[in-house]
Amino acid sequence: MTATGQALSYLDQQMPGETGEKARSRLVAILMRREVQLLVALLLMSGIVDVLRPQFLSSSNISFMLAGSVVIMVVATGQTMVIITRGIDLSVAPMLGIAAIAIGFPAQNHNLNIFVALVLVILIGIALGVGNGLLVTVAGIPPIIATLATLSVYGGLQFVFTSGLTVISLPHDYIAVGLEDIVPGIPWLLLIGVGIVIVAELFLKFTPWGRAIYAVGNNADAAYRAGIPVRRTLFMTYIICGLLSGIGGFVYLCYIGSASSTTGTDTNVNLISIAATLIGGTSLLGGRGRPIGAALGAVFLSVADTAIVVLRILPIWEPAGVGVLILLAVVTDRQSGPATRRALRTRHHAEVAA
Amino acid sequence: MSATATEGVASPTKLQGVSYVGTSLTKSFDGAVVLNDATVTFEPGEIHSIVGENGAGKSTLVKILSGIYQPDSGTLVLGGERLIGLHPHNAQQRGIYLVPQEPSLMESLSVTENLFVGILRRRRFPFLVDWRPMRREASGYLERVGLDIDPEMRADELSVAQQQLVECARALVHRCQVLFFDEPTSPLTAHEADTLFDVMRNLRDSGFTLGFISHRLDEVLAISDRLTVLRDGKIVMRETRDQFARPAVVSAMVGREIVTRVRERGEQDLTANKEMLAVTNLTLEPYFRDISFVLREGEILGLGGLVGSGRTEIAETIYGLRSAERGRVEVEGVALAHRTPRDCVDAGLIYLPEDRGRHGIFAEVEVTRNVTAGVIHRLPRRGPLLRPAAERRMAEEATKTTAVRMPTIDALMKTLSGGNQQRSMLARWLLAEPKVAIFDEPTRGVDIGAKDDIWTLVIKLAHEGLACLLISSELTELTMICDRVLAIYEGSVVGELTGDDITDARLGAMVVGPVAR
Repeated sequence: MTATGQALSYLDQQMPGETGEKARSRLVAILMRREVQLLVALLLMSGIVDVLRPQFLSSSNISFMLAGSVVIMVVATGQTMVIITRGIDLSVAPMLGIAAIAIGFPAQNHNLNIFVALVLVILIGIALGVGNGLLVTVAGIPPIIATLATLSVYGGLQFVFTSGLTVISLPHDYIAVGLEDIVPGIPWLLLIGVGIVIVAELFLKFTPWGRAIYAVGNNADAAYRAGIPVRRTLFMTYIICGLLSGIGGFVYLCYIGSASSTTGTDTNVNLISIAATLIGGTSLLGGRGRPIGAALGAVFLSVADTAIVVLRILPIWEPAGVGVLILLAVVTDRQSGPATRRALRTRHHAEVAA
Repeated sequence: MSATATEGVASPTKLQGVSYVGTSLTKSFDGAVVLNDATVTFEPGEIHSIVGENGAGKSTLVKILSGIYQPDSGTLVLGGERLIGLHPHNAQQRGIYLVPQEPSLMESLSVTENLFVGILRRRRFPFLVDWRPMRREASGYLERVGLDIDPEMRADELSVAQQQLVECARALVHRCQVLFFDEPTSPLTAHEADTLFDVMRNLRDSGFTLGFISHRLDEVLAISDRLTVLRDGKIVMRETRDQFARPAVVSAMVGREIVTRVRERGEQDLTANKEMLAVTNLTLEPYFRDISFVLREGEILGLGGLVGSGRTEIAETIYGLRSAERGRVEVEGVALAHRTPRDCVDAGLIYLPEDRGRHGIFAEVEVTRNVTAGVIHRLPRRGPLLRPAAERRMAEEATKTTAVRMPTIDALMKTLSGGNQQRSMLARWLLAEPKVAIFDEPTRGVDIGAKDDIWTLVIKLAHEGLACLLISSELTELTMICDRVLAIYEGSVVGELTGDDITDARLGAMVVGPVAR
């Protein structure tokens, strides 16, 4: 503990020490990265479960677990961007659901072309995201309330659109995308998920718009004064989140092979996407976070989910487990733990001073 | 909870009175001495005012006296008893109350609850709150401070002035006899301030001990029985009522001996230079009205005025952060209507904000990104993607120009000192290649060395043609580097000084307002 603390203080002060010390502090820095921690936790968990249940790390099960993480991976990438701006999107589940049924029925009944379907879910996601964006930026409603309202509105619409019917059979090409591997252990779906995460990483890190997202989340006042169009940035972020939720609907439909009036909501996409985001190291206080963390969070949750099944733990324990993981993720975060407390304190001081 | 509240309405008869003495009070923050060996006595039945420029230490002094800050050394003696470990809560129990600049009532609670919070009356059993006597008493206390309102009103239904009077009533409810007022009049209109002064005089006459801070010299001279002038943390003048002389007080506040500093800008004729910023009849009530001026290439124009005089609001309106009621803003002859900060930056107008922490820096972000934040849409790119190495080089160059001292350019902004944060902000705006710059209190909260560097840099930029609008509460800053200064008082331009006519004394006399009748 003390040794780590010392190493950390060197790290914080960027002290030019001896090369050995420097290397050690760099190593500590790498180990302190949330993505690395998650990867280690993931390998540990898989290893332990594999010892207990030897078929756990078979290529087919790996493929199953990875494919099962893609829906959340895609949605959580959008959620991450929203949370970086210090917002939250509680309507990702019905956005995903609407997208899934909107292509599900034409695919089932009219053999809708899969590429057209992909374009459709993107357009639908954008439209629904525009709704959230307008509420947050033009109407100025706090994101948690705005998206709580659209959670209900979109969820209701989803129900209306299905008129109680369920998509049950899909054309072969959809099922193939959902179930087949490129090489054993690597499913096609993962390609979609990883592709999206990579694009999102590049977008956030290497484009002015991505940089604006971080700036707005760090200090919206300062960002506005620096000439960053804050409202436009927020608007765009909610649109991207809608778009990715729409693609999430496509992935869901291909993977599960069915869709209904409660798709998205019944698998708790809202909570799980937020969980993956927070486990992935994104700060609820905004300004910090990465899609790759959220992606690893999604894989982690998928693997944990499967582990619960193979270890014959009752699945009713799963939601409680997710909750504990969220708490662990926030509490163990070296940066956001103290930062949260500090932020609350400063807010208090600001009120006192005012 | 000690629930022994006042019995009956506080009687308007004379109190016994208690004196409060602070001896050799010294306080420093991060090594900077803000209060140096200050000894001050508050007597009952007197209004004792503390005056001084911004940063003179008057707020610090009152915060020590009311327990918000602990002094590094020195003693506090209340009515002959030495106070040790004073903090806001026990200060109030001992009868010391601070009426803050902005009232801090609990907005959604009733006036009665606000008055009695902490000492709510209870019934004997089952210990429920006993509202009836409190309501009755509340109206008595409110009457005492000249407030004719229903004690059941919510606090946020009251005007700021009324809330301030409720604060006074609250001090009475809590049986405080020593009341400090920290710039209570800045959010008030003249008429509202008069009401407050009546209440203060009334309290004085009944034997309360009152301390008053203000930078409006006229009201201070009108109401005070005793006056203490602070400058740079030291007491430089003590006067009693019969000795007040406005010019003497002004020069004590401003510190004439510092005026010997050489003006760095010689007389130069800039009237032929290009008009870079033209502001015409800019108005935003109640902050300011009919502000018109022209700023020319290479000119440093100062906006002098006290805090609350409307300087920052003027700057924020020019920069598009507030919408003007009327008036025009032109940069290089091009009108900027419905402007946002982004439009201003694109037109070559930048604004260095007064509150660096809230409006300038991204604390949790590396210096690089802080510096390039103003130009992210203009950063070098390859295809759609930014080039981090090129960005880093830009940031390095800019921070070198403004002499930012930092461990590495990847250090987080929050780890830098105030001066270096400010230099980084200057670096950010240099990258935007501005033609017109508004510097709002550019040297606030930075150490002396950084101040000097910032002044030098501003002068250098002006030489290179930058049109600078400099807002400052520090008269010397304006005197030293401006070619021309506009004095702002209560939202209007009340005077203009050019070249060698700019002196601390003249400017100081202008910014404290027209001489009272």
